[in-house]
Amino acid sequence: MAYIVNRLLSVALTLFLISIITFSITNILPGDVAMMIMGTQSNPEALAALRQSLGLNDPVIVQYGRWIGGVLSGDWGVSLLFREPILPLIAQKMLASGLIVVMSMTIALCLAIPLGVWAARHRDRWQDTTSSTVALLGLSMPDFFIGIMLILLFAASLGWLPSSGFIDPTEDLIGAMRHALMPSLALGLGLMAHLTRMTRSSMMGILSQEFIRVARAKGLPERTVVWRYALPNAIGPVMTVAGLQIGYLFGSIIVIESLFSYTGMGWLTYQALLNRDIPLIQSTVFVIAAVVMLVNLIVDLLYRLIDPRIRLG
Amino acid sequence: MVRFLSVKALIGFTLVGLVVLVALFAPMFIPAERATQMVMTARLQPPSLSFPLGTDQLGRDLLARVMLGAQTSLLIAVSAVVISIVLGLPLGIISGYFGGRIDNVLMRVIDALLSFPVLLLALTISAVLGPNLQNTVIAIGVAFTPFLARIVRGEALRVVQMPYVEAARAAGTRDGAMIMRHILPNIMPALIVQATISLAFAVLAEAALSFLGLGTQPPMASWGLMIQASRQFLDIAPWTALVPGVALAITILGLNLLGDVLRDVLDPRSR
Repeated sequence: MAYIVNRLLSVALTLFLISIITFSITNILPGDVAMMIMGTQSNPEALAALRQSLGLNDPVIVQYGRWIGGVLSGDWGVSLLFREPILPLIAQKMLASGLIVVMSMTIALCLAIPLGVWAARHRDRWQDTTSSTVALLGLSMPDFFIGIMLILLFAASLGWLPSSGFIDPTEDLIGAMRHALMPSLALGLGLMAHLTRMTRSSMMGILSQEFIRVARAKGLPERTVVWRYALPNAIGPVMTVAGLQIGYLFGSIIVIESLFSYTGMGWLTYQALLNRDIPLIQSTVFVIAAVVMLVNLIVDLLYRLIDPRIRLG
Repeated sequence: MVRFLSVKALIGFTLVGLVVLVALFAPMFIPAERATQMVMTARLQPPSLSFPLGTDQLGRDLLARVMLGAQTSLLIAVSAVVISIVLGLPLGIISGYFGGRIDNVLMRVIDALLSFPVLLLALTISAVLGPNLQNTVIAIGVAFTPFLARIVRGEALRVVQMPYVEAARAAGTRDGAMIMRHILPNIMPALIVQATISLAFAVLAEAALSFLGLGTQPPMASWGLMIQASRQFLDIAPWTALVPGVALAITILGLNLLGDVLRDVLDPRSR
């Protein structure tokens, strides 16, 4: 219990720091919201008046207080670019990106675990070399280049999948998944590389342990030894790495969603950055960092729940 | 494993050596006009004798551009990693060596910074500063700093507990001398490994930033920009995407292989 309380306090502190960092970065921007609303050619007096009414002449700390107060009370302001309230906009885009995150992680794990286990079972043989090579190639291909190759193959040549666009998953789940499939593949193939390596090294550690030798000695089939005895013990570190990859994933979706014109959180962030929509930049950057931190917290807590050896912490 | 390792080392060194040589010497042998000269009659030409890798949408020679792109890519990646070391190394050492309250505060901030995806941080900084060559370097370098500081701190913590540090302290070595003589040399192996892996990621980040228009700007020869430009002509001229894409993959693969090999050789914990 003390652990949970401690942990929650630390989460609150980190969120506070994240909000300060986000606010500071966007405040270094040359030009301000008033300039962006009225354009650079605008009348200086009107500009000054707007600045005054928006509170841009207040001390930075007052401006931060106003922003974070708004965030906490659910008033996230209005996007300059989309002219819509930011909070519902982000909620909607987050759902779209959630689909991609879940699908790409599923693809990555479904490929990485068998590949890593296969490599570990045939340590230092050709199977191991093959798996390591595949992982290294995956690690070395930029995901947007994989994305372009997928477009060439599945959209331009074969015509199986749509090369761009987005469908709301709450309206048509199958259609939404079809549109999310290529972006997810591009991301999943890149993610797979790290996870394969982690599965391999974790499995090799477990397979060399006593209890595995005992299981083999008492005549259990190799299949049972590997999948029922070894894998559950080896999966912890793989899950931790998968959790850490969520951060990487939320960086990559900015590129991939833009490539596939998939209007999710990454696309929204990109539009905000490109058009210098300061309120929207602050919100999207803050939300992404907060989500990444929370996902890592959940993975960590789950890990403790699953693995009794570190439950007390 | 030894055999596999040496094959990895061989391929890694060859690929990286190739890219470095091209980056160093291509600008001397390829006149800048060759990469910027637009031949409107030769737009989107497939590979041929006069254009071995074909031409782009403005009739520019892709071979010349991809070779000049190596320089852009490595220049930005190396500078960015140097920045992240200049910023991250002192932070990490101070945190790990002195510990206590300084460590606590610094690591809180670093932890918060690590919640920002590196690419998001780099893109935001670049957008904030205004995208150009110099700011791309700064953006990637700053975005990498928290990660590097974290690794250096971990290593410093490990080294501080070594008997030789205790012995030096007992002999009256001051903090400054201790850091320079005992801590720094002993975290070097981990730093070199990390720098190599960071280089691979910096090449990737530069390409991603340029691809999104928030990195290097046209008409500079940059692989990310080339891939961006190829998108419109993908179905009629796929080589315009393949050429820079393969160049990127070769560079990153080489650096990753090198990083792996260096880790196996230098990092005591992976043995």
